[in-house]
Amino acid sequence: MSPRREIIVPAVHAPDTASSFGQAVSTVVRGGDFLFVRGLTAIDPQSGERVRGTTASETRQILTHLKQLLEAAGSSLEKVVKVNVWLHSMLEAPNMNEVYARFFSDPPPARTVCGARLPDGVKVIIECTALA
Amino acid sequence: MRDVIAAPATGLDLRQHYGHHQSPAIRAGGLIFCSGMLPVDPQTGERRHGTLTSEAQVIFGNLKLLLESAGSSLDRLVQVHALIYDSIEYDVLNRVYRQYVANGPPARTVWAAQIEAGFKVELDVIAAA
Repeated sequence: MSPRREIIVPAVHAPDTASSFGQAVSTVVRGGDFLFVRGLTAIDPQSGERVRGTTASETRQILTHLKQLLEAAGSSLEKVVKVNVWLHSMLEAPNMNEVYARFFSDPPPARTVCGARLPDGVKVIIECTALA
Repeated sequence: MRDVIAAPATGLDLRQHYGHHQSPAIRAGGLIFCSGMLPVDPQTGERRHGTLTSEAQVIFGNLKLLLESAGSSLDRLVQVHALIYDSIEYDVLNRVYRQYVANGPPARTVWAAQIEAGFKVELDVIAAA
């Protein structure tokens, strides 16, 4: 029987990126049939350092990282069911969408995109739920 | 297993009309995850800007179509994220919202956000399949 709740420690990046920023956050948590991935910002998965860029480049960085996280946990981008995207401005939605479309093959997951004030100068946050 | 729920009316295919790289909804693990629901005409896909109340009415109509086409319904909503353009309209949202989830309403969170195309409300929902 699968565990009802399990914290999956990503092997692909530096010791613990979340706690290195002083946040009480797990990156990937399994619950039931699903993997829940925290809202990701653009970081270098090796060093855990913030990577600042454009909406397009941050989206690319985040989704590359997300792909690694899911695959390390035995899932994949093809098994994602829902994605939530927060942007610093909805005027940037087409720039995000264009990069996003290169990562998710057909048929893509369900998705919601909105604009919000994001912390620390971040331009994009992407959160997802995938089948384990 | 992950099933795509196709748009139940041509207007609700936001990928076709607006290029959004998303499926209308995905069924997985006994749940239906819907893409953010917007006030578009279910036949033509045209944007139906209006008051928060009128936009919410269009959205609930679209959501009902989508969920029922997937064998679910508004009575089977589990969680709702209601995005509104300004928290000053919170009471207005509540007034229209309760008409559609009269019995055993789902868990819900409301927040103010920028919604695409200047819409006043968007619903992001999960329903039981």
